[in-house]
Amino acid sequence: MIRKTSQTFIWISFVLMVVSTIALYFYVSNLLRDEVEEELFSTEARIETALKSNRSPYELPPVVEIMTVTELGIEKLKDTIIYDPSQDEMEEFRELTTFETINGKNYRITVRTLIVESDTILMAVVLSYLIIILLVFTFLFYFSKARNERIWQPFFTNLEQMKEFSMTSTEPLRLIDSEILEFHELKREIEALTTKVKSDYLNLKQFTENVSHELQTPLAIIQAKIENIINGDNLNDFQYEHLTSIQKDIQRLTQMNKRLTLLTKIENKQFVNIQKVSLAEIMNGTIQNFHEISAAEIKWDLKNEIWAKMDPYLAEVLCTNLVSNAIKHNTNEGDIEVTARDKVLSISNFGTKSIANPENLYTRFYRESEAEKSTGLGLAIVKRICDLYGFLIGYEFTEGRHVFSVRVN
Amino acid sequence: MKILIAEDETALQQSIATYLERDGNVCETASDYTEAAYKADLYDYDLIILDVNLVSGSGLDVLKTLKKENREVGVIIISANNSLDDKLDGLDLGADDYITKPFHLAELNSRIKAVLRRGKYGGDDTIDFNEIKVDTKSRSAYINGKAMSLTRKEYDLLVFFMTNRGRVLSKEIIAEHLWGDNSDLADNFDFIYVHVNNLRKKMTGEGAKYIKTAYGSGYKFIED
Repeated sequence: MIRKTSQTFIWISFVLMVVSTIALYFYVSNLLRDEVEEELFSTEARIETALKSNRSPYELPPVVEIMTVTELGIEKLKDTIIYDPSQDEMEEFRELTTFETINGKNYRITVRTLIVESDTILMAVVLSYLIIILLVFTFLFYFSKARNERIWQPFFTNLEQMKEFSMTSTEPLRLIDSEILEFHELKREIEALTTKVKSDYLNLKQFTENVSHELQTPLAIIQAKIENIINGDNLNDFQYEHLTSIQKDIQRLTQMNKRLTLLTKIENKQFVNIQKVSLAEIMNGTIQNFHEISAAEIKWDLKNEIWAKMDPYLAEVLCTNLVSNAIKHNTNEGDIEVTARDKVLSISNFGTKSIANPENLYTRFYRESEAEKSTGLGLAIVKRICDLYGFLIGYEFTEGRHVFSVRVN
Repeated sequence: MKILIAEDETALQQSIATYLERDGNVCETASDYTEAAYKADLYDYDLIILDVNLVSGSGLDVLKTLKKENREVGVIIISANNSLDDKLDGLDLGADDYITKPFHLAELNSRIKAVLRRGKYGGDDTIDFNEIKVDTKSRSAYINGKAMSLTRKEYDLLVFFMTNRGRVLSKEIIAEHLWGDNSDLADNFDFIYVHVNNLRKKMTGEGAKYIKTAYGSGYKFIED
């Protein structure tokens, strides 16, 4: 912004300089011309007086020429170029020619004056003006620039602070106050706004945590009571069916709760146990684990070892969620393929058609179809883990397969 | 066995007690920190089930005192907080196991038995039931002295059944025991049925017909 105002200043100065110089040039040149003409007229008058008093007027060609003529002409004022013997070159003169009848004689009196001198004066005046005004503008330019920078400094510092503002950061904003009322107000408003945003965010986070936490105990009570009822007497198959169905829903609720808490924890950066982790090894364990639960065969193709610096628990969650997602959405029970190659871990499963809204894949509670009984949080967690460690996650649908790939950096 | 249940939610406390008493355990309860600390100090228990968040204090403090006094007692921590740190804290302080709310009583029972096996019986890591013998240290099972060839899950299933004798175990409970957080995957397929059936076949082949069907879709490990 300061550059912008400086530019404007320079342009305005330049235009002003040009205009004022031109104006000065014409003014001074007119002034000089008037002077010259006045001088010419006064010289002519003196010559006339001399002629009237019959003094022999002096002649000083080319400056003063007196000739007797038969007829009178018209008084004329013009610029002319004649040879100046003193300078031995053609020079520009201002020339006044008058015709007078003095003592019965007709005279043509021509007085001339050299314009060169007045031109020099003109140039000197314009040039010195130009230099002065240039100096003034240069000084003003740097002065105002320095001053602007100082005045705007709090604004720019605060702007930088705002760019670095993060809701998750615990670092407070370090804003600079200013004597300028507008900047002072701006600072106050930014402070109020960011404090509000932060506290809202914290409240929301706290709320998610609290809800998840507070739900655990009632869920535990319901679950325990159901188990005692099932183990009690006088239960028929119908009642049992319903009770186990409730158990299933409690299980779902519990899963959702756990995953929400996990998401919050990842967002809060609460996983700080960073280690060098072999993703291939963890994936190997995950596949072993899922081997018995999956109807489809899981083909494990380990081309290269993949190392990542991350929390081992999150590495496990990452692998588990990717594989369980593939198992869940594997249609026609074809093979699930897991490959580790060149820092890319990819998992693919059969699918009938590409996902309609791939941009929503990682959104919480997004499900492609209502029929699915997933929590809708698995891929959201995967995405958060990838974001946390700067991994790139991609989805594509090729040759009838859904392929998720994670590139570790 | 004498068990202290320190849990401030009375409903949960009573449910746990009811479940455990059916096995012939003697259960006492404590509803807040003071009562828990008092009872743990005064009486001898085989096991204490300790909630981390007791109304007036932390269950972990009760644990600390017990460990400071070198008391021979098994401790299972229950917590509403599913955080790894809490779990590690509890285990570091000397708890024998850690379980997160909500949990199945059968699961809790199974863990109690495991803790008691390790502690009280002085390293006797076996579960016996008639002709079946399970060595939990080597994770192997024997029937009439003959080693059974079981998969990992079948072994887990057998131990789970044996520690919850006479209980109705629904497929939901079994799935969660075997696959934990991933048990929702078992939803779509009848894996439990496959696993239970395989185990059942291996047992009945040797004449051990203890796994019965209950209410159509549940299971019960019971003597004829």
